[in-house]
Amino acid sequence: MRSLALVRLNLALLAAEPGAVISRIGMPLVMITVLRPLYRAAIGDQGTTHAVTGMLVLFSLLGLSIVGGSLLTERSWHTLDRLRATPASPWQILTGKAVTLGGVLLAQQAVVLGYGVVALGLRVARPDLLALAALAWAVTLLLLGAAAAMTVRGHSELGAVNDLGALLLSTLGGAMVPLPLLPGWAQTIAPASPGYWALQALGGAAAGDAAAVLRGCGVLLLVASAAGGYAAWRMNRGWGRSRLL
Amino acid sequence: MLDASGLRKTYGPVTALDGFDLTVAPGEICGLIGHNGAGKSTFVEVVTGLTRPDAGTVTVGGLPPTRARHLVGLAPQEIALYLSVTVERNLRLFGALAGLRGGALRQAIDDTAQALGLTDVLRRPVGLLSGGQRRRAQAATAMLHRPALLLLDEPTTGADPGTRAALLRLVRAHAADGAAVLYTTHYLPELVDLGATLAVCRAGRVIKRGSQDELLAGHETLDDLYHALAADHA
Repeated sequence: MRSLALVRLNLALLAAEPGAVISRIGMPLVMITVLRPLYRAAIGDQGTTHAVTGMLVLFSLLGLSIVGGSLLTERSWHTLDRLRATPASPWQILTGKAVTLGGVLLAQQAVVLGYGVVALGLRVARPDLLALAALAWAVTLLLLGAAAAMTVRGHSELGAVNDLGALLLSTLGGAMVPLPLLPGWAQTIAPASPGYWALQALGGAAAGDAAAVLRGCGVLLLVASAAGGYAAWRMNRGWGRSRLL
Repeated sequence: MLDASGLRKTYGPVTALDGFDLTVAPGEICGLIGHNGAGKSTFVEVVTGLTRPDAGTVTVGGLPPTRARHLVGLAPQEIALYLSVTVERNLRLFGALAGLRGGALRQAIDDTAQALGLTDVLRRPVGLLSGGQRRRAQAATAMLHRPALLLLDEPTTGADPGTRAALLRLVRAHAADGAAVLYTTHYLPELVDLGATLAVCRAGRVIKRGSQDELLAGHETLDDLYHALAADHA
């Protein structure tokens, strides 16, 4: 019941300020529509898949601002410490956040992928693997956003980290420019970006390549574990007034 | 209800608590006073389980703080409410987290809102409230579930006389019902109004503890006592 109360609260908080969610879901649809002919001209039939999955990775990374902003607001409003002082367990507090924000991230992916299938004729050989890849990516994004929010000192710093980080990780991962068209040095370091593995998993699901999906999901979950472990450690330290002494 | 003994807490070179002892009985209102940095807020953090002491023990109703949170109502020094949603949504959340459900939660919200003059603003976002209304809303979230231990950390800072009077009335009512109240403030007439016992805190420990009559011996008013301590401190 406590988790349910927290989910309700977080839904109300999102409903009170829905702008970021609307823009992060709407913008990729515009970009996919505009850029798809370019991708098709550059890499042929794979162009549609890349337009959809590439923009999905880019805008879902930019969507980290929703996760990070939500958690950072709890810090700046002092409500995170307030929640920690209630009978709600850390697990219940995190569940309340994760269900809501994870739902937003999954909704973003569902809308973008659905638009690709319905409006642009994106073919998905293994919808089940696509759902798995989307879930692994959403979990990774959630925990990366939590790690960022637990680290930065304010909303402007979060905005800078989020914008620069999203562009860097998505570009390096091959989301904006398809991997074969990137310079050699960039192709070499591309696997260092979680965006690369998200593209491998999402593209693998579209092509029916189960090994690529599982490999991508495995790496993403490792990244998620590291980010989640750090975020939990940082949250456990707290931000009480006495920390300022 | 609250029993703290030998608490120590350091942050690097700074000693926040240095042998802090304090006991507050059910039905007692204890006014915790002291200068900024004397350790009051750190003590409140320890009692709520947000900060772990380096040494010493603290129990609430015989339980360690992290297992006694259902017994505690906290109104921290800073406003800690969800500003973009309504007062009612905040009350619903903190009431539900404290274990209230359905009709009992509804009744508790209505009763507390009425006692603190919040009924007319229940459906207004907290961010649109005045400072005094936010103070009352914060206090309401702490008192909603009628906790056995009420921790109020400078709850009337910036509040108008009406807010202060409403809050003190409700605190007295809770104590009369058997709640232990720990009330930190720099505004000493409030403690006279509440009939509180006193714990004077300095450099991380309680240096004087007793009734107002006991502590006021040699001082005409609480303010005199406080200023005498300030002179000692300097």
